[in-house]
Amino acid sequence: MKWDIFCSVVDNYGDIGVTWRLAKQLAAEHGVAVRLWLDDLGAFARLCPQADRHAAQQLRQGVEVRQWLLPWQPVQPADVVIEAFACELPDAYVAAMAARPQKVLWLNLEYLSAEDWVEGCHGLPSLQSNGLQKFFFFPGFTTGSGGLLRERDLLEQRRAFQADPLARAQFLMGLGVAPIAGARLVSLFAYENRALASWLEVLAAEPQVTQLLVPEGRILADLQAWLGCATLVAGDQQQRGRLHVQVLPFVEQEQYDRLLWSCDFNAVRGEDSFVRAQWAGRPLLWHIYEQEENAHWYKLEAFLALYTKGLSPAASAALEGLWRAWNAGAAMGASWDALLQVWPELAEHAERWCLQRASQADLAEALVEFYQNWL
Amino acid sequence: MKTAQEMKPNSVALIDGQPWLIQKAEFTKSGRNSAIVKMKLRNLLTGSSTETVYKADDKLEPVILDRVAVTYSYYSEPNYVFMDDEFNQYELNKDDLESVMPFIVDGMTDICEAVFFEGKVVSVDLPTTIVRQIAYTEGSARGDTSGKVMKTAKLSNGTEVKVADFCNIDDWIEIDTRTGEYKSRAKAPV
Repeated sequence: MKWDIFCSVVDNYGDIGVTWRLAKQLAAEHGVAVRLWLDDLGAFARLCPQADRHAAQQLRQGVEVRQWLLPWQPVQPADVVIEAFACELPDAYVAAMAARPQKVLWLNLEYLSAEDWVEGCHGLPSLQSNGLQKFFFFPGFTTGSGGLLRERDLLEQRRAFQADPLARAQFLMGLGVAPIAGARLVSLFAYENRALASWLEVLAAEPQVTQLLVPEGRILADLQAWLGCATLVAGDQQQRGRLHVQVLPFVEQEQYDRLLWSCDFNAVRGEDSFVRAQWAGRPLLWHIYEQEENAHWYKLEAFLALYTKGLSPAASAALEGLWRAWNAGAAMGASWDALLQVWPELAEHAERWCLQRASQADLAEALVEFYQNWL
Repeated sequence: MKTAQEMKPNSVALIDGQPWLIQKAEFTKSGRNSAIVKMKLRNLLTGSSTETVYKADDKLEPVILDRVAVTYSYYSEPNYVFMDDEFNQYELNKDDLESVMPFIVDGMTDICEAVFFEGKVVSVDLPTTIVRQIAYTEGSARGDTSGKVMKTAKLSNGTEVKVADFCNIDDWIEIDTRTGEYKSRAKAPV
């Protein structure tokens, strides 16, 4: 079984993060020969430091990574072709798919959303004029969707890690982090955000010590401004009141998972880190990708409506308040205080949510099953 | 060629040599500023129906259709009968009229357009704006006069429309048939 996955890197590391994870999982768990076509190997090298930024073709973790070059060089299409996030396949490749004697399953892997319409669109055909069979595949949080990316043994690994203080300490030491006894450990991965300063103010002033770990990324400029530093680079540490801030290097996906598992609270963004924080089973804060005409607010509210089911009114209100403030760039002080009041309930809920989602088929499994049913 | 987003209900696209009538088209923002269009299609040769999804900027081949001005005459189960100004009658069933069914009411006087494919009537388009009477709605909850507070109202055929809070039973309202949304209060048609 051969699969081609096409990914056009738009910005940040969301597209490439998802497709790289998916490619690795399909190869490792489903015996699929995957070619991952990328138009930005520089972005890929951030996620996979062993990667050669210039190689037209390289084998990484069981995946054949191909540089998506222009003009397109003809290749034999695979049995299953995934265009990730509505990227445009090369015309010549589509023509080759149509000309292939064995039929090809063509899938458009869409963005993640908790909105109701997703179930009504997931798995629907997209009628084509060239005889090809194309379908839309939507990841999602409910059984009527395509599920979420989750490796088969992810939760076992996570539980073992979280039950082993030594493993956690060693991992953090590897990142240059010396955990402060009794401190709340928080990770921060976000886009630029005006709300950051007000959150940091309250963290610095409260009695509880907070150790904030910030992987390199777009939020650094706001952090720098609040700290009043000229520059911030990986390894830098600063303290303001009871808030200890440390900048971390951009890490590989497996390491980022462990960072999320190590922390008591994770601020994440976009799609990939958002899903991984849910598998960490810890309370989280989501910075959603901003869209035209405020379309992202519908997506944020749809997720909140789903996620807060089963929470007490107080916990729901606290979580919603914090997430809305964060995404609106509004003051975070009051909503953070409200969140602290319901922390134990949110911590329990995060684990329960994780287990509920894990009872559904994961995205890679659902894709393979879709292909088998289509055959 | 037109984009999927530009193809409206009651237009026909030629896909893989087959004419497909677009009975419904729902535009949705999917993620990172991309969008999709979910369509309900009916094959005009076989009569089969299907749901399909396109990226909003996917290209489709539109079929140029003949159109004739008609008015609604009467219902003769299972067909809705429309008539042109030469008294030719055109019969369409509920499925043919899916996109406009919510606004078909007895006694309507709107000048509609019958849509033809290869000489056969396949659907009817309503004007962009129509006027309908409210058959039922609750009284004003808050005495709002701004038009920003909305409530549900029912037309005589049971269709529900969100209207301004100040609208009352028997009021006439303007509706945008492209979106099914209330536009304003209106005078009774003469």
